[in-house]
Amino acid sequence: MKRKKRTEILIEGSHELAKSLANEIEQKYSVSSLQEPEHGLVMLKVRETSKKSLFYLGEVLVTECKAKVEGKIGIGIVKGDFPELAYHLAVVDAAFLGNLPETKSWAGILESEKQYLEEKRKAKNEAILKTKVSFETMDV
Amino acid sequence: MGYVAVKGGTQAIEEAIKRLKYERLHKEQVLETGQIEAGMRGLIDQVMSESSLYNEKLAALAIKQAEGNPEEAVFLLRAYRSTLPRKHCSQIIESEDMKVERRISASFKDIPGGQILGAATDYTHRLLDFNLMNETEKTVKEWLSAYAIENSSIEELMNGPELVLPKVLDYLRKEGLIPPLENNDAEPDDVTRESLEFPSSRSQRLQILTRGETGAVTSLAYAVIRGYGALHPTVGELRVGSLPIYVGHPNEEGSDEDEYYIGNIKATEAEMLMPFMAEKEKGSKELEFEIGYGLCFGQNETKAIAMGILDNCLEHPDNSFPSHNEEFVLLHIDSVESTGFISHLKMPHYVTFQSKLDSVRKTKGKTEEREEVRSI
Repeated sequence: MKRKKRTEILIEGSHELAKSLANEIEQKYSVSSLQEPEHGLVMLKVRETSKKSLFYLGEVLVTECKAKVEGKIGIGIVKGDFPELAYHLAVVDAAFLGNLPETKSWAGILESEKQYLEEKRKAKNEAILKTKVSFETMDV
Repeated sequence: MGYVAVKGGTQAIEEAIKRLKYERLHKEQVLETGQIEAGMRGLIDQVMSESSLYNEKLAALAIKQAEGNPEEAVFLLRAYRSTLPRKHCSQIIESEDMKVERRISASFKDIPGGQILGAATDYTHRLLDFNLMNETEKTVKEWLSAYAIENSSIEELMNGPELVLPKVLDYLRKEGLIPPLENNDAEPDDVTRESLEFPSSRSQRLQILTRGETGAVTSLAYAVIRGYGALHPTVGELRVGSLPIYVGHPNEEGSDEDEYYIGNIKATEAEMLMPFMAEKEKGSKELEFEIGYGLCFGQNETKAIAMGILDNCLEHPDNSFPSHNEEFVLLHIDSVESTGFISHLKMPHYVTFQSKLDSVRKTKGKTEEREEVRSI
């Protein structure tokens, strides 16, 4: 699974999932923390739709961490104040970069968490769609 | 009269700070930041937007410390922001990727995807709800549980639609009602890194407008519509929802699929349609539309609409109207700058005021001398 989808599942899903995957790596490999989780900012670059040009909307607080596993440096970065999650994400990222055998077995776990998130999202969307206006033309 | 440098007041200042703490605490109620975060969504969104820093927890803390005063909370957050390193810049965020929670158009009844009211105060009666005085955790849980049951009974839940909706503007562009445009990926300017100079760039204007003080931005836009401007806007599309944020790997080139998802932010976007008579060949005129653009953190619809109005004003400089003058608008809407300058007037100005008094005394003295000479 590619990083974009994987990080979305691990951040939007239960944080326990990232923890359990990272723990699995920690038990089998030597993990070193190159950068302890620390706060920083990410500037948001957005496209406006009038002239289709770019501008900066503002910054978002993030927690970032770097971890090394089997010579590969993984990065964990998440919006907000989540030092543990940032560390677990970094370990998982390093594991995927090193193509460690454990990552092969994670595909199913990640996929089922993705399904769970989809169900949650759909339920939310359905509730929102109850506020969709149904216009009726009046006889005047 | 000579000027004398003075010092002192340290003890008084320390006691004044204690007094401030006393005012916050003397009712012996501890206001938890979690409660502020959960129950003061509007204020949190306003403070995050004006401070240009998106984090609900920090905004709640700033609001607590500032005793609910937005200008002070924004000041605190801006100061905190300046202590943090900027680690990355996000990949380009496209608002068409917004997961919509509310989306309306005042221009078109039938828009692709429909009019979705979402959470809005627009249709409430604005009568004080005294039941809230007696709201308890139990009543809250009961309501939430009933709401969840109500929604779980929706048929075909598993096949629910994706709420990423087409833009009204794209529809108009396809229809040829507004001219099509290519993306302009020129790097934007950043007013937090380089001071604003005039004439400003579009990216500078939009950045200052989005972090502008909500009341100031709204007031100026209101003035435009009342006649201190030359616009007649309509809301083409207003949407509220979450925008996903992605960051590229700092050292490696990769495909879009190798980006890091870091979370999402809630934002409000307003696309304002401004009709104008465009001059065509042989002196003929034709009605066309321009778009004013507004986007801000959180759900703050008035601000996003007002930003859209001012954006279009500033695209058409006109010294007949202050609202079309970029220097007038951009230099006066920032919360920290305007409240900072106004409130600094209460700080000691003993020396400058004494100097003015001296001038008045001298002038008065000369006048009296002259009157004495005349009377002789």
